[in-house]
Amino acid sequence: METVSHLILVFISIALVNNLVLTKFLGICPYLGVSRRVDMAFGMGCAVTFVITISGTVTWIINNLVLQSIGMEYLKYIAFIMVIASMVQLVEMYVKKFFSSLYDSFGIFLPLITTNCAILGTCLFIDLWGYNFLEALVASFGGGLGFTLVICMMGGIRENLEWADIPKALKGAGITLITAGIMTLAFMGFSGMIK
Amino acid sequence: MMVLNLLAAISISNVAGAGVTLLVIGLVFVLILSIAYAKLRVEQDPTVEAVLAALPGANCGGCGLAGCGAYAEVVVADHGLMGKCGPGGDTLVREIAALLGIEAAASAPVRAVVHCGAKRADLINSTRYGGAATCGEGQMVAGVMGCPYGCMGFGDCAAVCEFDAIDMVDGLATVNYDKCVGCGACVQACPRGLITLEKFSEDPLLIITCSSRDKVKEVRGYCKVGCVGCGLCAKLDPNHFQMEQSLAVIDYEKYGRSEEFDKAVEKCPRACMLFVGKKAPAETNAAAAVEEYTDHR
Repeated sequence: METVSHLILVFISIALVNNLVLTKFLGICPYLGVSRRVDMAFGMGCAVTFVITISGTVTWIINNLVLQSIGMEYLKYIAFIMVIASMVQLVEMYVKKFFSSLYDSFGIFLPLITTNCAILGTCLFIDLWGYNFLEALVASFGGGLGFTLVICMMGGIRENLEWADIPKALKGAGITLITAGIMTLAFMGFSGMIK
Repeated sequence: MMVLNLLAAISISNVAGAGVTLLVIGLVFVLILSIAYAKLRVEQDPTVEAVLAALPGANCGGCGLAGCGAYAEVVVADHGLMGKCGPGGDTLVREIAALLGIEAAASAPVRAVVHCGAKRADLINSTRYGGAATCGEGQMVAGVMGCPYGCMGFGDCAAVCEFDAIDMVDGLATVNYDKCVGCGACVQACPRGLITLEKFSEDPLLIITCSSRDKVKEVRGYCKVGCVGCGLCAKLDPNHFQMEQSLAVIDYEKYGRSEEFDKAVEKCPRACMLFVGKKAPAETNAAAAVEEYTDHR
């Protein structure tokens, strides 16, 4: 029971309190680039969640079982990126095969998940915080869900912004960044909830 | 586990160990991805693949699309976008044209032709138009100029031309045949459909610089140089010229200079026959030619 409640705390911690986008400022590129519509944002969120979960877990295995046992932790950056790149390729093939309209709307952003720092960030945080395997699995999944949540919220807000009377100078990127800032302020309310 | 022991043994020499470790990890993923590729491969149009292979592969995004892959797909669907690739340039356009089966483009080049010859001074009864200075907007305003067929001169075609091959000369779109590659972007940009792609089986090529299908009275009311549909050319050389409503058109399938052909060109009372191309003769003043003809008569 204790393990379960601990895992729930790990999950909430990375999904809300230490949200990758709004408190760690990772993964801003897709957050601003693919959040124009909720359905696209959700698709992007799902793709990132998938990649982040698999890479978080696989990198934990590689880091703890392979690299540490032969004393080559310094290789982790290269090894992690290799895992992430492979996973993105896998997702790209899958999405192209089964959701081709989604694939078209992603455009360049799908291969760019490779360089999405939220994913590498999560893998490195898991290593930094010294998580065990179960925690790593839950944390990486939670990180992905937190990203999805935030990017979908952003998508919803931006859909409504289309109809808002925005001053000309702030249209487009300007108002999006202001919105992101206000959302960050809102998410600061979570800080201190979990140690 | 044996592999790990082996790696541990190798790790004495750190550099080689690092290399081998990464190599092993890499190979595992290569294996996974190869299996996935075999299972998840999407059959692609072979033409798209061929075009993609011909593209520079810089993924620069200059065409306005996500990368060379996206551009290849779009080009196969819409031939008009052939010239969008900046790094590829003219040679690439020719290659793509060949791949798309437009072999004609390789032997006799396809070039843009503007079917209007009226400069600003040739227009009669033009109203003053104060709206947005694009052809797309102007087209929506009735009476933006007297002629409902001719060139409005706001230069939508010049704006879309990636090769800088269209100049607006006195309010008339004029193709620079040294630069035109026949991509067809302007054909789609012109809301009045004045520009067509014609096969330059000869250079210079004769074109009819008018698109007005109105009868003589209307044409004389709004243009000094437009085709009035007298039918003289079709009478003199019925092989090459036809009348479509009140407009002379050239049958480019049978294009070729002959005695009757030259005579028909010479006799045109409205000077709306123009030789264009790289070897086109120096430009003459169409309006003056019409007046001269009228005086002469």
